[in-house]
Amino acid sequence: MSDTETEDLLRELAPRVLGALVRRYGHFGTAEDATQEALIAAARQWPSEGLPANPQGWLITVASRRLTDLLRADQARQRREDAVAQWVLPGDWVAPAADTPAADRDDTLILLFMCCHPALTPASQIALTLRAVGGLTTGEIARAFLVPEETMTRRITRAKRQIKTSAVPFRLPAATERAERLDAVLHVLYLIFSEGYASTSGPALQRTELAAEAIRLTRIVHALLPTDGEVTGLLALMLLTDARRLARSGPSGELIPMADQDRSRWDAAYIAEGVALITGVLGRSPAGPYQLQAAIAAIHDEAPSAGATDWPQIMALYKLLMQLSDNPVVRLNHAVAVAMVHGPHAGLELLAALGTDERIANDHRLSAVTAHLLELAGDHPAARDAYLTAATQTTNLPQQRYLNAQAARLVGNQ
Amino acid sequence: MKYMILLYGSQQDYDSMAGKPVPGKPTWTGEDFAAMGGFMASFSKDLVESGELVSTRGLTAPVHARRIQLRSGVPVVTDGPYAETQEVLAGYWIVECESFDRATEIAARLTTCPGPEGAGDRAVVDVRPIADSRAELDA
Repeated sequence: MSDTETEDLLRELAPRVLGALVRRYGHFGTAEDATQEALIAAARQWPSEGLPANPQGWLITVASRRLTDLLRADQARQRREDAVAQWVLPGDWVAPAADTPAADRDDTLILLFMCCHPALTPASQIALTLRAVGGLTTGEIARAFLVPEETMTRRITRAKRQIKTSAVPFRLPAATERAERLDAVLHVLYLIFSEGYASTSGPALQRTELAAEAIRLTRIVHALLPTDGEVTGLLALMLLTDARRLARSGPSGELIPMADQDRSRWDAAYIAEGVALITGVLGRSPAGPYQLQAAIAAIHDEAPSAGATDWPQIMALYKLLMQLSDNPVVRLNHAVAVAMVHGPHAGLELLAALGTDERIANDHRLSAVTAHLLELAGDHPAARDAYLTAATQTTNLPQQRYLNAQAARLVGNQ
Repeated sequence: MKYMILLYGSQQDYDSMAGKPVPGKPTWTGEDFAAMGGFMASFSKDLVESGELVSTRGLTAPVHARRIQLRSGVPVVTDGPYAETQEVLAGYWIVECESFDRATEIAARLTTCPGPEGAGDRAVVDVRPIADSRAELDA
Protein backbone atom coordinates (compact mmCIF):
# COMPACT_ATOMS: atom_id res chain seq x y z
CA MET A 1 0.00 0.00 0.00
CA SER A 2 1.46 3.33 -1.03
CA ASP A 3 2.03 6.21 1.35
CA THR A 4 -0.75 8.25 -0.27
CA GLU A 5 -3.22 5.39 -0.08
CA THR A 6 -2.37 4.91 3.58
CA GLU A 7 -2.81 8.62 4.18
CA ASP A 8 -6.23 8.64 2.49
CA LEU A 9 -7.34 5.61 4.47
CA LEU A 10 -6.17 7.13 7.75
CA ARG A 11 -7.96 10.42 7.04
CA GLU A 12 -11.13 8.48 6.33
CA LEU A 13 -10.86 6.39 9.52
CA ALA A 14 -9.78 9.24 11.82
CA PRO A 15 -13.23 10.53 12.81
CA ARG A 16 -14.59 7.00 13.22
CA VAL A 17 -11.78 6.11 15.62
CA LEU A 18 -12.16 9.33 17.59
CA GLY A 19 -15.93 8.92 17.65
CA ALA A 20 -15.63 5.38 18.99
CA LEU A 21 -13.27 6.53 21.74
CA VAL A 22 -15.28 9.55 22.85
CA ARG A 23 -18.52 7.61 22.74
CA ARG A 24 -17.03 4.94 24.99
CA TYR A 25 -14.79 6.88 27.35
CA GLY A 26 -15.55 10.58 26.95
CA HIS A 27 -12.53 12.87 27.37
CA PHE A 28 -12.82 14.44 23.95
CA GLY A 29 -9.56 16.40 24.23
CA THR A 30 -7.38 13.55 25.48
CA ALA A 31 -9.10 11.09 23.14
CA GLU A 32 -8.23 13.38 20.23
CA ASP A 33 -4.56 13.38 21.25
CA ALA A 34 -4.61 9.59 21.60
CA THR A 35 -6.20 9.22 18.16
CA GLN A 36 -3.58 11.45 16.57
CA GLU A 37 -0.82 9.30 18.06
CA ALA A 38 -2.42 6.11 16.79
CA LEU A 39 -2.70 7.64 13.32
CA ILE A 40 0.97 8.63 13.40
CA ALA A 41 1.96 5.11 14.47
CA ALA A 42 -0.11 3.62 11.64
CA ALA A 43 1.37 6.01 9.08
CA ARG A 44 4.80 4.80 10.15
CA GLN A 45 4.11 1.08 10.37
CA TRP A 46 1.50 0.19 7.77
CA PRO A 47 3.42 1.09 4.59
CA SER A 48 6.29 -1.19 5.54
CA GLU A 49 4.55 -3.88 7.63
CA GLY A 50 1.39 -4.05 5.55
CA LEU A 51 -2.23 -3.23 6.36
CA PRO A 52 -3.72 -4.96 9.42
CA ALA A 53 -6.72 -7.23 8.77
CA ASN A 54 -8.98 -4.73 10.54
CA PRO A 55 -7.43 -1.26 10.23
CA GLN A 56 -10.19 0.52 12.13
CA GLY A 57 -10.01 -2.00 14.98
CA TRP A 58 -6.22 -1.68 15.09
CA LEU A 59 -6.47 2.10 15.39
CA ILE A 60 -9.18 1.92 18.07
CA THR A 61 -7.15 -0.56 20.12
CA VAL A 62 -3.94 1.46 19.92
CA ALA A 63 -5.75 4.73 20.61
CA SER A 64 -7.63 3.25 23.59
CA ARG A 65 -4.40 2.09 25.21
CA ARG A 66 -2.83 5.46 24.63
CA LEU A 67 -5.91 7.19 26.08
CA THR A 68 -5.60 5.17 29.27
CA ASP A 69 -1.92 6.10 29.56
CA LEU A 70 -2.62 9.77 28.98
CA LEU A 71 -5.45 9.81 31.52
CA ARG A 72 -3.23 8.15 34.13
CA ALA A 73 -0.53 10.76 33.63
CA ASP A 74 -3.11 13.56 33.67
CA GLN A 75 -4.82 12.43 36.85
CA ALA A 76 -1.56 11.72 38.67
CA ARG A 77 -0.40 15.22 37.84
CA GLN A 78 -3.68 16.72 38.98
CA ARG A 79 -3.51 14.88 42.26
CA ARG A 80 -0.02 16.18 42.84
CA GLU A 81 -1.24 19.69 42.12
CA ASP A 82 -4.26 19.16 44.37
CA ALA A 83 -6.38 20.13 41.41
CA VAL A 84 -9.31 17.87 40.74
CA ALA A 85 -10.62 16.96 37.30
CA GLN A 86 -14.22 17.96 37.81
CA TRP A 87 -17.00 19.31 35.66
CA VAL A 88 -20.67 19.98 36.08
CA LEU A 89 -23.21 17.67 34.49
CA PRO A 90 -25.26 19.25 31.72
CA GLY A 91 -28.76 19.64 33.14
CA ASP A 92 -30.33 17.73 30.28
CA TRP A 93 -28.59 14.49 31.26
CA VAL A 94 -30.97 13.66 34.06
CA ALA A 95 -33.45 12.06 31.69
CA PRO A 96 -32.47 10.93 28.18
CA ALA A 97 -34.38 12.61 25.35
CA ALA A 98 -37.50 10.71 24.33
CA ASP A 99 -36.32 10.55 20.74
CA THR A 100 -32.83 9.22 21.50
CA PRO A 101 -32.34 6.21 19.24
CA ALA A 102 -31.08 3.06 20.95
CA ALA A 103 -27.85 2.80 19.01
CA ASP A 104 -26.81 6.01 17.31
CA ARG A 105 -23.98 5.25 14.95
CA ASP A 106 -23.56 8.70 13.43
CA ASP A 107 -20.40 9.37 15.42
CA THR A 108 -18.89 11.57 12.74
CA LEU A 109 -21.96 13.79 12.76
CA ILE A 110 -21.84 14.01 16.55
CA LEU A 111 -18.16 14.94 16.36
CA LEU A 112 -18.99 17.66 13.86
CA PHE A 113 -21.66 19.09 16.14
CA MET A 114 -19.19 19.04 19.04
CA CYS A 115 -16.46 20.78 17.08
CA CYS A 116 -18.88 23.46 15.90
CA HIS A 117 -20.36 24.04 19.34
CA PRO A 118 -21.49 27.66 19.88
CA ALA A 119 -19.22 27.96 22.93
CA LEU A 120 -16.23 28.03 20.56
CA THR A 121 -15.06 30.96 18.43
CA PRO A 122 -15.35 30.47 14.65
CA ALA A 123 -11.57 30.16 14.36
CA SER A 124 -11.59 27.43 16.99
CA GLN A 125 -14.52 25.68 15.38
CA ILE A 126 -12.67 25.59 12.07
CA ALA A 127 -9.39 24.38 13.55
CA LEU A 128 -11.02 21.68 15.65
CA THR A 129 -13.22 20.45 12.79
CA LEU A 130 -10.24 20.10 10.50
CA ARG A 131 -8.32 18.24 13.21
CA ALA A 132 -10.93 15.96 14.69
CA VAL A 133 -13.13 15.30 11.67
CA GLY A 134 -10.80 16.13 8.80
CA GLY A 135 -7.89 14.24 10.29
CA LEU A 136 -5.43 16.95 9.28
CA THR A 137 -2.33 17.42 11.41
CA THR A 138 -1.86 20.66 13.32
CA GLY A 139 0.99 21.52 10.97
CA GLU A 140 -1.19 21.07 7.90
CA ILE A 141 -3.94 23.26 9.37
CA ALA A 142 -1.43 25.93 10.40
CA ARG A 143 0.04 26.07 6.91
CA ALA A 144 -3.40 26.23 5.34
CA PHE A 145 -4.26 29.27 7.45
CA LEU A 146 -0.82 30.80 7.16
CA VAL A 147 -0.18 30.94 10.90
CA PRO A 148 2.74 29.46 12.85
CA GLU A 149 2.18 25.89 14.01
CA GLU A 150 2.53 26.98 17.63
CA THR A 151 -0.38 29.39 17.23
CA MET A 152 -2.58 26.69 15.76
CA THR A 153 -1.59 24.24 18.51
CA ARG A 154 -2.64 26.76 21.15
CA ARG A 155 -5.90 27.43 19.33
CA ILE A 156 -6.76 23.73 19.20
CA THR A 157 -5.80 23.14 22.84
CA ARG A 158 -7.95 26.09 23.91
CA ALA A 159 -10.84 24.78 21.83
CA LYS A 160 -10.62 21.35 23.46
CA ARG A 161 -10.58 22.94 26.90
CA GLN A 162 -13.70 24.94 26.04
CA ILE A 163 -15.45 21.74 25.03
CA LYS A 164 -14.47 20.15 28.31
CA THR A 165 -15.71 23.05 30.45
CA SER A 166 -18.93 23.27 28.47
CA ALA A 167 -19.40 19.56 29.24
CA VAL A 168 -20.82 18.93 25.78
CA PRO A 169 -22.29 15.43 25.91
CA PHE A 170 -21.41 12.93 23.17
CA ARG A 171 -24.72 12.68 21.38
CA LEU A 172 -26.71 14.50 18.76
CA PRO A 173 -28.18 17.83 19.86
CA ALA A 174 -31.82 17.74 20.99
CA ALA A 175 -34.34 18.03 18.17
CA THR A 176 -35.22 21.57 19.23
CA GLU A 177 -31.59 22.65 18.87
CA ARG A 178 -30.64 20.60 15.88
CA ALA A 179 -31.50 23.08 13.12
CA GLU A 180 -29.48 25.83 14.79
CA ARG A 181 -26.52 23.57 15.52
CA LEU A 182 -26.55 22.23 11.95
CA ASP A 183 -26.49 25.84 10.74
CA ALA A 184 -23.30 26.30 12.76
CA VAL A 185 -21.74 23.20 11.18
CA LEU A 186 -22.63 24.32 7.66
CA HIS A 187 -21.30 27.79 8.39
CA VAL A 188 -17.96 26.37 9.53
CA LEU A 189 -17.71 24.22 6.41
CA TYR A 190 -18.57 27.26 4.30
CA LEU A 191 -15.85 29.29 6.04
CA ILE A 192 -13.29 26.55 5.37
CA PHE A 193 -14.31 26.49 1.71
CA SER A 194 -14.14 30.29 1.45
CA GLU A 195 -10.64 30.30 2.93
CA GLY A 196 -9.59 27.73 0.37
CA TYR A 197 -11.34 29.42 -2.50
CA ALA A 198 -10.18 32.95 -1.77
CA SER A 199 -6.53 32.09 -2.46
CA THR A 200 -5.70 35.72 -2.07
CA SER A 201 -2.28 35.08 -0.58
CA GLY A 202 0.17 32.28 0.04
CA PRO A 203 1.02 29.39 -2.24
CA ALA A 204 -2.07 28.52 -4.25
CA LEU A 205 -1.67 24.78 -3.71
CA GLN A 206 -2.38 24.79 0.00
CA ARG A 207 -5.48 26.86 -0.42
CA THR A 208 -6.80 24.44 -3.02
CA GLU A 209 -6.48 21.62 -0.54
CA LEU A 210 -8.65 23.52 1.94
CA ALA A 211 -11.42 23.88 -0.61
CA ALA A 212 -11.14 20.17 -1.43
CA GLU A 213 -11.24 19.33 2.28
CA ALA A 214 -14.38 21.44 2.75
CA ILE A 215 -16.02 19.58 -0.11
CA ARG A 216 -14.95 16.22 1.31
CA LEU A 217 -16.38 17.01 4.75
CA THR A 218 -19.61 18.38 3.27
CA ARG A 219 -19.96 15.18 1.24
CA ILE A 220 -19.76 13.22 4.49
CA VAL A 221 -22.49 15.36 6.08
CA HIS A 222 -24.59 14.99 2.93
CA ALA A 223 -24.22 11.22 3.08
CA LEU A 224 -25.38 11.26 6.71
CA LEU A 225 -28.24 13.73 6.11
CA PRO A 226 -29.22 13.13 2.48
CA THR A 227 -32.65 14.74 2.76
CA ASP A 228 -31.52 18.03 4.28
CA GLY A 229 -32.03 20.81 1.72
CA GLU A 230 -29.39 23.21 3.01
CA VAL A 231 -26.72 20.51 3.32
CA THR A 232 -27.37 19.52 -0.30
CA GLY A 233 -27.43 23.19 -1.26
CA LEU A 234 -24.07 23.85 0.38
CA LEU A 235 -22.45 20.86 -1.32
CA ALA A 236 -23.85 21.96 -4.67
CA LEU A 237 -22.67 25.53 -4.07
CA MET A 238 -19.14 24.37 -3.26
CA LEU A 239 -18.94 22.12 -6.33
CA LEU A 240 -20.34 24.77 -8.67
CA THR A 241 -17.98 27.40 -7.28
CA ASP A 242 -14.89 25.20 -7.20
CA ALA A 243 -15.64 24.14 -10.79
CA ARG A 244 -14.42 27.55 -11.94
CA ARG A 245 -11.21 27.52 -9.93
CA LEU A 246 -8.71 26.90 -12.72
CA ALA A 247 -10.17 29.70 -14.85
CA ARG A 248 -10.20 32.25 -12.02
CA SER A 249 -6.57 33.27 -12.21
CA GLY A 250 -4.31 34.09 -15.11
CA PRO A 251 -0.75 32.94 -15.81
CA SER A 252 0.74 35.60 -13.53
CA GLY A 253 -1.75 34.87 -10.76
CA GLU A 254 -4.00 37.80 -11.68
CA LEU A 255 -7.72 37.49 -10.96
CA ILE A 256 -10.06 37.06 -13.90
CA PRO A 257 -13.73 38.04 -13.44
CA MET A 258 -16.31 35.45 -14.43
CA ALA A 259 -17.41 37.26 -17.56
CA ASP A 260 -13.86 37.03 -18.95
CA GLN A 261 -13.09 33.46 -17.87
CA ASP A 262 -12.26 30.71 -20.33
CA ARG A 263 -15.25 28.44 -19.71
CA SER A 264 -13.52 25.47 -21.33
CA ARG A 265 -11.34 25.38 -18.21
CA TRP A 266 -14.36 24.94 -15.94
CA ASP A 267 -14.71 21.45 -14.40
CA ALA A 268 -17.61 19.87 -16.28
CA ALA A 269 -17.94 16.94 -13.88
CA TYR A 270 -18.28 19.20 -10.84
CA ILE A 271 -20.81 21.33 -12.70
CA ALA A 272 -22.88 18.31 -13.70
CA GLU A 273 -22.85 17.00 -10.14
CA GLY A 274 -23.68 20.40 -8.63
CA VAL A 275 -26.53 21.00 -11.06
CA ALA A 276 -27.97 17.54 -10.41
CA LEU A 277 -27.81 18.08 -6.64
CA ILE A 278 -29.50 21.47 -6.64
CA THR A 279 -32.11 20.47 -9.20
CA GLY A 280 -32.99 17.44 -7.12
CA VAL A 281 -33.51 19.37 -3.93
CA LEU A 282 -35.15 22.63 -5.01
CA GLY A 283 -38.90 22.70 -4.61
CA ARG A 284 -38.91 19.94 -1.97
CA SER A 285 -39.09 22.46 0.85
CA PRO A 286 -38.73 26.23 1.26
CA ALA A 287 -35.30 27.02 -0.14
CA GLY A 288 -32.69 28.24 2.32
CA PRO A 289 -29.78 30.58 1.54
CA TYR A 290 -27.29 27.88 0.48
CA GLN A 291 -29.80 26.38 -1.93
CA LEU A 292 -30.52 29.78 -3.44
CA GLN A 293 -26.84 30.58 -3.82
CA ALA A 294 -26.29 27.17 -5.40
CA ALA A 295 -29.16 27.78 -7.83
CA ILE A 296 -27.56 31.08 -8.84
CA ALA A 297 -24.17 29.40 -9.28
CA ALA A 298 -25.83 26.70 -11.39
CA ILE A 299 -27.29 29.29 -13.74
CA HIS A 300 -23.86 30.89 -14.20
CA ASP A 301 -22.13 27.54 -14.69
CA GLU A 302 -24.68 26.25 -17.20
CA ALA A 303 -24.39 29.28 -19.45
CA PRO A 304 -22.19 28.39 -22.44
CA SER A 305 -20.95 31.98 -22.54
CA ALA A 306 -21.18 35.09 -20.38
CA GLY A 307 -23.59 36.62 -22.90
CA ALA A 308 -25.93 33.63 -22.66
CA THR A 309 -26.35 33.95 -18.89
CA ASP A 310 -29.99 33.88 -17.71
CA TRP A 311 -29.83 37.14 -15.76
CA PRO A 312 -33.61 37.49 -15.18
CA GLN A 313 -33.56 34.17 -13.31
CA ILE A 314 -30.51 35.24 -11.33
CA MET A 315 -32.20 38.53 -10.48
CA ALA A 316 -35.28 36.73 -9.20
CA LEU A 317 -33.16 34.39 -7.07
CA TYR A 318 -31.20 37.26 -5.52
CA LYS A 319 -34.52 38.91 -4.67
CA LEU A 320 -35.52 35.75 -2.79
CA LEU A 321 -32.12 35.60 -1.12
CA MET A 322 -32.47 39.19 0.06
CA GLN A 323 -35.62 38.19 1.93
CA LEU A 324 -33.67 35.54 3.83
CA SER A 325 -30.45 37.43 4.38
CA ASP A 326 -29.71 40.99 5.42
CA ASN A 327 -26.21 40.71 3.97
CA PRO A 328 -25.34 43.88 1.97
CA VAL A 329 -23.21 41.80 -0.41
CA VAL A 330 -26.37 39.99 -1.47
CA ARG A 331 -27.98 43.35 -2.24
CA LEU A 332 -24.86 44.27 -4.20
CA ASN A 333 -25.10 41.14 -6.31
CA HIS A 334 -28.80 41.79 -6.82
CA ALA A 335 -27.97 45.27 -8.13
CA VAL A 336 -25.56 43.72 -10.64
CA ALA A 337 -28.29 41.34 -11.85
CA VAL A 338 -30.77 44.22 -12.12
CA ALA A 339 -28.26 46.14 -14.23
CA MET A 340 -27.82 43.16 -16.55
CA VAL A 341 -31.61 42.92 -17.02
CA HIS A 342 -32.80 46.55 -16.86
CA GLY A 343 -29.70 48.44 -17.83
CA PRO A 344 -26.87 50.12 -15.90
CA HIS A 345 -28.90 53.08 -14.63
CA ALA A 346 -31.36 50.81 -12.82
CA GLY A 347 -28.42 49.09 -11.14
CA LEU A 348 -26.71 52.40 -10.28
CA GLU A 349 -29.86 53.60 -8.50
CA LEU A 350 -29.76 50.56 -6.22
CA LEU A 351 -26.04 51.06 -5.60
CA ALA A 352 -26.64 54.64 -4.53
CA ALA A 353 -29.04 53.36 -1.86
CA LEU A 354 -26.43 50.80 -0.75
CA GLY A 355 -23.93 53.60 -0.32
CA THR A 356 -25.80 54.61 2.85
CA ASP A 357 -25.30 51.15 4.39
CA GLU A 358 -22.31 51.55 6.67
CA ARG A 359 -21.37 47.93 6.38
CA ILE A 360 -20.54 48.20 2.69
CA ALA A 361 -20.22 51.95 2.02
CA ASN A 362 -16.41 51.82 2.04
CA ASP A 363 -16.06 48.35 0.58
CA HIS A 364 -14.00 48.04 -2.59
CA ARG A 365 -16.62 45.77 -4.08
CA LEU A 366 -19.26 48.52 -4.01
CA SER A 367 -16.86 50.93 -5.71
CA ALA A 368 -15.81 48.32 -8.27
CA VAL A 369 -19.37 47.41 -9.22
CA THR A 370 -20.28 51.10 -9.40
CA ALA A 371 -17.30 51.64 -11.70
CA HIS A 372 -18.34 48.75 -13.92
CA LEU A 373 -21.91 50.03 -14.29
CA LEU A 374 -20.73 53.61 -14.92
CA GLU A 375 -18.57 52.24 -17.71
CA LEU A 376 -21.54 50.38 -19.18
CA ALA A 377 -23.55 53.59 -18.94
CA GLY A 378 -20.83 55.34 -20.97
CA ASP A 379 -19.49 57.63 -18.22
CA HIS A 380 -15.81 56.71 -18.50
CA PRO A 381 -14.27 59.49 -16.36
CA ALA A 382 -16.57 58.64 -13.43
CA ALA A 383 -15.93 54.92 -13.96
CA ARG A 384 -12.17 55.48 -13.87
CA ASP A 385 -12.43 57.47 -10.62
CA ALA A 386 -14.53 54.74 -9.07
CA TYR A 387 -11.97 52.05 -10.03
CA LEU A 388 -9.16 54.12 -8.51
CA THR A 389 -11.21 54.60 -5.35
CA ALA A 390 -11.86 50.86 -5.18
CA ALA A 391 -8.12 50.20 -5.46
CA THR A 392 -7.50 52.31 -2.36
CA GLN A 393 -10.18 50.45 -0.42
CA THR A 394 -8.51 47.04 -0.56
CA THR A 395 -5.15 45.93 0.81
CA ASN A 396 -5.15 42.85 -1.37
CA LEU A 397 -2.45 43.21 -4.01
CA PRO A 398 -3.92 41.10 -6.84
CA GLN A 399 -7.21 42.95 -6.41
CA GLN A 400 -5.44 46.33 -6.43
CA ARG A 401 -3.58 45.42 -9.59
CA TYR A 402 -6.82 44.38 -11.27
CA LEU A 403 -8.66 47.58 -10.28
CA ASN A 404 -5.82 49.87 -11.28
CA ALA A 405 -5.55 48.06 -14.60
CA GLN A 406 -9.26 48.68 -15.21
CA ALA A 407 -8.78 52.36 -14.45
CA ALA A 408 -5.76 52.56 -16.78
CA ARG A 409 -7.73 50.85 -19.53
CA LEU A 410 -10.33 53.63 -19.41
CA VAL A 411 -7.84 56.47 -19.76
CA GLY A 412 -7.17 55.65 -23.36
CA ASN A 413 -10.89 55.25 -24.11
CA GLN A 414 -11.91 58.80 -23.29
CA MET B 1 -31.99 -17.18 45.35
CA LYS B 2 -29.66 -14.73 43.65
CA TYR B 3 -26.24 -13.62 44.82
CA MET B 4 -23.66 -11.22 43.45
CA ILE B 5 -20.00 -12.28 43.44
CA LEU B 6 -17.72 -9.25 43.30
CA LEU B 7 -14.09 -9.38 42.21
CA TYR B 8 -11.78 -6.50 43.14
CA GLY B 9 -8.56 -5.20 41.70
CA SER B 10 -6.53 -2.01 41.59
CA GLN B 11 -5.23 0.04 38.67
CA GLN B 12 -1.86 -1.51 39.42
CA ASP B 13 -3.35 -5.00 39.09
CA TYR B 14 -4.80 -4.05 35.71
CA ASP B 15 -1.42 -2.65 34.68
CA SER B 16 0.61 -5.66 35.67
CA MET B 17 -1.87 -7.93 33.88
CA ALA B 18 -1.50 -5.75 30.80
CA GLY B 19 2.20 -6.48 30.87
CA LYS B 20 3.38 -3.20 32.32
CA PRO B 21 6.16 -3.42 34.91
CA VAL B 22 4.75 -2.25 38.27
CA PRO B 23 7.08 -1.97 41.28
CA GLY B 24 5.95 -4.38 43.97
CA LYS B 25 3.70 -6.32 41.58
CA PRO B 26 4.65 -9.57 39.82
CA THR B 27 5.20 -9.67 36.07
CA TRP B 28 2.55 -11.46 34.04
CA THR B 29 4.00 -13.48 31.18
CA GLY B 30 2.02 -14.41 28.10
CA GLU B 31 1.54 -17.90 29.54
CA ASP B 32 0.30 -16.48 32.86
CA PHE B 33 -2.24 -14.33 31.06
CA ALA B 34 -3.43 -17.21 28.86
CA ALA B 35 -3.82 -19.46 31.88
CA MET B 36 -5.86 -16.83 33.71
CA GLY B 37 -8.04 -16.32 30.67
CA GLY B 38 -8.56 -20.07 30.30
CA PHE B 39 -9.53 -20.37 33.94
CA MET B 40 -12.04 -17.53 33.80
CA ALA B 41 -13.61 -18.95 30.66
CA SER B 42 -14.06 -22.39 32.16
CA PHE B 43 -15.26 -20.90 35.47
CA SER B 44 -18.08 -19.06 33.75
CA LYS B 45 -18.77 -21.98 31.38
CA ASP B 46 -19.24 -24.36 34.29
CA LEU B 47 -21.78 -21.96 35.81
CA VAL B 48 -23.65 -21.76 32.52
CA GLU B 49 -23.79 -25.55 32.35
CA SER B 50 -24.97 -25.89 35.92
CA GLY B 51 -27.68 -23.34 35.18
CA GLU B 52 -26.49 -21.09 37.97
CA LEU B 53 -25.11 -18.21 35.94
CA VAL B 54 -27.45 -15.26 35.49
CA SER B 55 -25.00 -12.63 34.26
CA THR B 56 -21.30 -11.80 34.32
CA ARG B 57 -19.24 -8.80 33.19
CA GLY B 58 -15.73 -7.43 33.51
CA LEU B 59 -15.22 -3.73 34.08
CA THR B 60 -12.61 -1.56 32.36
CA ALA B 61 -9.65 -0.09 34.20
CA PRO B 62 -10.44 2.26 37.15
CA VAL B 63 -8.92 5.20 35.32
CA HIS B 64 -12.01 5.21 33.05
CA ALA B 65 -14.42 5.68 35.95
CA ARG B 66 -16.46 8.79 36.64
CA ARG B 67 -17.74 9.74 40.09
CA ILE B 68 -20.75 11.99 40.59
CA GLN B 69 -21.21 13.88 43.83
CA LEU B 70 -23.22 16.86 44.96
CA ARG B 71 -21.38 20.08 45.61
CA SER B 72 -23.67 22.77 46.96
CA GLY B 73 -26.61 20.86 45.58
CA VAL B 74 -25.16 20.59 42.07
CA PRO B 75 -24.05 17.23 40.63
CA VAL B 76 -20.37 17.41 39.82
CA VAL B 77 -18.42 14.76 37.93
CA THR B 78 -14.89 13.70 38.81
CA ASP B 79 -12.76 11.73 36.39
CA GLY B 80 -10.59 8.90 37.66
CA PRO B 81 -11.54 9.16 41.35
CA TYR B 82 -9.53 6.15 42.48
CA ALA B 83 -5.92 6.01 43.67
CA GLU B 84 -3.53 3.66 41.88
CA THR B 85 -3.47 1.08 44.66
CA GLN B 86 -7.14 1.32 45.59
CA GLU B 87 -9.10 -1.94 45.23
CA VAL B 88 -12.17 -1.28 43.11
CA LEU B 89 -14.77 -3.49 41.46
CA ALA B 90 -13.17 -5.29 38.53
CA GLY B 91 -15.97 -7.65 37.58
CA TYR B 92 -19.06 -9.44 38.83
CA TRP B 93 -21.06 -12.65 38.50
CA ILE B 94 -24.74 -12.85 39.36
CA VAL B 95 -25.59 -16.43 40.22
CA GLU B 96 -28.84 -18.10 41.15
CA CYS B 97 -28.30 -21.02 43.48
CA GLU B 98 -29.83 -22.91 46.33
CA SER B 99 -28.02 -21.30 49.26
CA PHE B 100 -25.59 -18.65 50.45
CA ASP B 101 -23.12 -21.45 51.15
CA ARG B 102 -23.31 -22.64 47.56
CA ALA B 103 -22.70 -19.06 46.34
CA THR B 104 -19.75 -18.85 48.73
CA GLU B 105 -18.33 -22.10 47.37
CA ILE B 106 -18.53 -20.70 43.83
CA ALA B 107 -16.86 -17.47 44.89
CA ALA B 108 -14.08 -19.31 46.68
CA ARG B 109 -13.19 -21.08 43.44
CA LEU B 110 -12.17 -17.71 42.01
CA THR B 111 -9.25 -17.56 44.45
CA THR B 112 -7.74 -20.63 42.77
CA CYS B 113 -7.28 -18.63 39.56
CA PRO B 114 -3.74 -19.21 38.21
CA GLY B 115 -1.31 -16.32 38.05
CA PRO B 116 2.30 -15.39 38.72
CA GLU B 117 3.63 -15.87 42.22
CA GLY B 118 2.18 -13.31 44.60
CA ALA B 119 -0.54 -12.11 42.26
CA GLY B 120 -3.33 -13.49 44.41
CA ASP B 121 -1.91 -12.50 47.78
CA ARG B 122 -4.24 -9.61 48.26
CA ALA B 123 -7.10 -10.98 46.20
CA VAL B 124 -10.52 -10.06 47.51
CA VAL B 125 -13.78 -11.67 46.45
CA ASP B 126 -17.09 -10.68 48.04
CA VAL B 127 -20.46 -12.47 47.95
CA ARG B 128 -23.68 -10.62 48.65
CA PRO B 129 -27.29 -11.74 48.59
CA ILE B 130 -29.41 -9.82 46.09
CA ALA B 131 -32.69 -8.45 47.40
CA ASP B 132 -35.59 -10.25 45.74
CA SER B 133 -37.99 -7.43 46.24
CA ARG B 134 -38.36 -4.04 47.85
CA ALA B 135 -40.04 -5.77 50.74
CA GLU B 136 -36.84 -7.56 51.59
CA LEU B 137 -34.97 -4.29 51.87
CA ASP B 138 -37.58 -2.86 54.21
CA ALA B 139 -37.46 -5.84 56.55
